[in-house]
Amino acid sequence: MAIHRPHFPDLLFDQTARFRAWEQELSQLFRARGYRELSPSLVMSKMREGAVRCIDGEHIVGLRWDFTEALADLLALRFDAPPGRVSYRGAVFRRPAHEWEPVERFEVGVESITGPEDVQAADRELVRLLLEVPAQVGLRGCAVQLGSAALLAEPLRVEAIPVAVATEVATWLSRRAPHRVYDALDGSPARARLVAHAECLLAGDIAKSPYAGQLEGAYRELLDTENVARAAISADVGPHAVTLRVDTADVAGFAFYTGPTLRLWAPHAAFELGAGGRYDGLYPQLGKPWHAAGFCIRLARLLDLADAHPELFTQVAT
Amino acid sequence: MTLLIAYPKGRLGDELLEKIGVSALGPAVDPGRALKVPAREPGVELVFLKGADLVEYVARNVAALGVVGSDALDEKDVDVLELADLGLGRCRLSVSAPVGVSLGDLAKKKHLRLATKFVRRTQRWLDRQGITAELVPLTSSIELAPALGLADAIVDLVQTGRTLVENGLLEIECITQVSGRLIAARGAYLADPRRIDHLASLIVRASA
Repeated sequence: MAIHRPHFPDLLFDQTARFRAWEQELSQLFRARGYRELSPSLVMSKMREGAVRCIDGEHIVGLRWDFTEALADLLALRFDAPPGRVSYRGAVFRRPAHEWEPVERFEVGVESITGPEDVQAADRELVRLLLEVPAQVGLRGCAVQLGSAALLAEPLRVEAIPVAVATEVATWLSRRAPHRVYDALDGSPARARLVAHAECLLAGDIAKSPYAGQLEGAYRELLDTENVARAAISADVGPHAVTLRVDTADVAGFAFYTGPTLRLWAPHAAFELGAGGRYDGLYPQLGKPWHAAGFCIRLARLLDLADAHPELFTQVAT
Repeated sequence: MTLLIAYPKGRLGDELLEKIGVSALGPAVDPGRALKVPAREPGVELVFLKGADLVEYVARNVAALGVVGSDALDEKDVDVLELADLGLGRCRLSVSAPVGVSLGDLAKKKHLRLATKFVRRTQRWLDRQGITAELVPLTSSIELAPALGLADAIVDLVQTGRTLVENGLLEIECITQVSGRLIAARGAYLADPRRIDHLASLIVRASA
């Protein structure tokens, strides 16, 4: 059998020092905010399509592709009550969306797994925590984007749009392409209503949407999160001050996320540096009626950015 | 900070430059064979690239904006913002076969071979139609493939259909309409949405 070596990043001295420093800074921050670290196994207990696999004798082993799922398997099995704040750090192995992306990616992140009464508090805490991240890694000029996949999921559910079409609609809306949303809904009796809704999301004008009545709750959640973030940002005028953007058309991941979503960007970055949001559907699937939200910071992408644009960092650890 | 806009080479690029050439986002100097020139708008530079490459430059946030055919965009399927359908370079991505051969004839073939440059888009269409076929990837002169026995039919861009007729082929099924799209790097849009929206509106207005 031929040995395949996809793009795994080797880190040399400077990169390793930078990577370890960031990992430590962020872990300390999370610990200081009450997040307890867990380390789920590098080997997943189940397999899914697209997982990076190894051969072990007669067996196939799936490598950890995502911390959220790895943690959910672990926590749902080991805990009777929602464990609250948890954090993690380590590598995940994913088939890249683009050939230049590495297969092995380093991440640090947090999850807040609670009962229904703590959902709002957890969302607010997470957005405040994400806003602290750029200062920890010395990155300036960052933007945090808030979205809500729920603003699309509910109308698609009401109109009974098939999953494949719904996925296409979400993709094109997230890419700000209403003309493509129109194409994707060819033949659907709900086409005119959903395209009108897409236009409203792009304009940030939910009140004019044909589904405005059904979306009040989801929209209010997003606005609450925005208010908390604005209050946190207004106090910070330093070099690491973050710009906040709300994009109601950011509905990416609508099949997974059920509430507000967060993304961390920097100028010149090809990809988001951090991402997350509320996903209340995962734990019930594992038999636990828990609510969950979190975000992860993609250290591999931060390392790439520091190599390509060191001027974006106030200090680059070496 | 200088911002890069990528314009396509070829027919779509010619059509675009005809419309946009005298606007603020036209080249400030005659590009000749240069691949990078300043635009009239201060702080903006233009690069001229082939479709598939152009998508990569925007996807990696090297160029903040770009104009590219939806054919090239669909083949890459990357996470870039598609801000407008400019309606330029309109044509169709179609299945064409030798005269007298219908889509039904092709679907009944035990081993259908389709020559195309557009492998991803063709495969999606085949999946939707429930047809299986061997895709023969070619990059140019696709129309020759059926006549020389390399494929039973082709999937290629059709504008007037004259090249097809001259090579004994007929368009039998339109897979999708193709036109020039204005795309933006997600990172660039997030970093400065006002500037990107302003430049995008200049391009949309000039190319109308």
